[in-house]
Amino acid sequence: MIDERWLQALGQELARHRLTPEMARHVVAEAAAHLRDSGQPALRAFGTPQRYAAAVAESLASRHHPARRPPGRVRLRASQITKRYGRRTVLRPTDLTVRAGEVAAIVGANGCGKSTFLRICAGLLSPDSGEVVVDGVLGYCPQDGGTYDFLLPEEHFVLVGAGRGLDRARSRRLGRADAATLQWEPAGGVQARHLSGGTRQKLNLVMAALGDPDVLLLDEPYQGFDRGTYIDFWQHVWRWRDEGRAIVVVTHLLNQLDQVDQVLDLTPGSREVAA
Amino acid sequence: MKLLTVAEMALRELSRRRGVLVLLLALPLLCYVVRHGQVGQSIRFLMLGLAWAVSTAALFASGTSRHIEPRLRLSGYRSHHLYLGRLVAMWLLGLAVATPFFTLVALDHGGEVRLGALAAAMALGVAVAAPFGLLIGALVPRELEGTLILLLTISLQVMIDPADSITRLTPFWSSREIGTYAVDHTGPEYLARGVLFTVVATALVAILSTIRLRTRLHLRYAGR
Amino acid sequence: MDQERRGQWLRGVLDVCVLALLARRESYGYELAQALDRAGLGQIQGGTLYPVLLRLQRTGLVAAHWREGEAGPARKYYRLTPSGEEAVRRLSTEWRAFAGRVDALLMEEVTSP
Repeated sequence: MIDERWLQALGQELARHRLTPEMARHVVAEAAAHLRDSGQPALRAFGTPQRYAAAVAESLASRHHPARRPPGRVRLRASQITKRYGRRTVLRPTDLTVRAGEVAAIVGANGCGKSTFLRICAGLLSPDSGEVVVDGVLGYCPQDGGTYDFLLPEEHFVLVGAGRGLDRARSRRLGRADAATLQWEPAGGVQARHLSGGTRQKLNLVMAALGDPDVLLLDEPYQGFDRGTYIDFWQHVWRWRDEGRAIVVVTHLLNQLDQVDQVLDLTPGSREVAA
Repeated sequence: MKLLTVAEMALRELSRRRGVLVLLLALPLLCYVVRHGQVGQSIRFLMLGLAWAVSTAALFASGTSRHIEPRLRLSGYRSHHLYLGRLVAMWLLGLAVATPFFTLVALDHGGEVRLGALAAAMALGVAVAAPFGLLIGALVPRELEGTLILLLTISLQVMIDPADSITRLTPFWSSREIGTYAVDHTGPEYLARGVLFTVVATALVAILSTIRLRTRLHLRYAGR
Repeated sequence: MDQERRGQWLRGVLDVCVLALLARRESYGYELAQALDRAGLGQIQGGTLYPVLLRLQRTGLVAAHWREGEAGPARKYYRLTPSGEEAVRRLSTEWRAFAGRVDALLMEEVTSP
């Protein structure tokens, strides 16, 4: 029956929104009872499972977010970063300070220098002026690319892990655990080139986070993610924040902005850092 | 440890690229067979083919790594881990490919050539070809352009009259000459030049890689 | 009445109406929906109603418990808490004042030439 599937989907969506299993059960049971009593089809009475779950999660919102730890020490401080390519000024003097336990979002229109700024913060690109100070270990995830076509995901884990001083078994274990939180189980002998775009990005993300860096710089890493994984990704970000990491995410999707600690808008003309 | 991991992964990656493997085996073989009639020529061409194949393999290896190496630097590798690791991998690969060809020549012309010198010549050829390929890869952004440069180098190598003094500048000249030494029993100064060339090419690769992967001056780690 | 307008107005007062219904007696979701319909407010969908109930629960105006039905499955029953009762009283007064002002404004519009 269609309603059965709807209820099942509702259960999954509620889990995605981090409801406790007990709470989710209650919500599903109540919805089921309502459907029985009213005789209406689920989609008419409640809408899509996603929408209803989101509405429920929002109603319960303050109850489920633990009190946020006050932000800790400064983990990343970028001061007066400028960059031009030839005649074109890509970045006007820009500052960003991110503390442990904070999430900063970098937004702006296409081409306004978000990726460039992030790469400068990661130390992959030199600015024309300005300085970046990092306290701790850096992790960086590019928008795409960044993987070896012909290597297996596990080999990527080992490669990154060795750089951080982890032995192979540990690297593989950590990599697989991180992958699981993104609903991905790296199958045995599949080379990276045979993975779908979204899965490759999951690999990218796992590589960036392997070894628990203190600062995570993520450049729109969710390219190709399906809706569920996209939500999982943001859950991951909040969890990292709760663990005390400093995270910077370049994004042009605005729907998570009310939950981040800082927004840096690089669109020319709006230079404020809003909290 | 880090160096070995880089080397291992480079080898794993290359071993899965069937096209490259075929190239590594078929090209030298073809070169050898084409001039099979004359001992000296066939061996020289074999050496050239071997050098060419190993350089190309090294070029491809550096091509795929281009975008990942900055990330690996962030993960904790130093530049020398990365290029030395790759270099070691290419040397091992080259030696592994050279061995069957050595055996082939030994079986074919064992009595006529100095086998010891031949082995040295092949080893040196590989030793030069690997950093040369990595160097081209470091200089040129795309594999296609790199391949063309290698092709040009080989063509020059073939076309230049060995007596002409310009030949001393070509990268594979030394191994060619040692081949001559092995086959035609000429003098040992060629060995010295080959070694010199290897050292120079390796140094250039090292410098270029370090520059590309340098810790940018604008980024400072607090407390260090 | 224009559906969108009705929806807008309803969104403002739905929680108050639900509190008022619960002031009479405890009830479960579908029953409340039926009562609202009978009162002339139209069909309130579950997707709209239950989040409201959850929010009222979260702010402590309403408490809930599951009760086994004799004939059917278990249902979640809602009832007012003491602060809920106090809220209903306060909100009715506030609503009457508010609606009165709107009324007066509209009457003026209608009667003036």
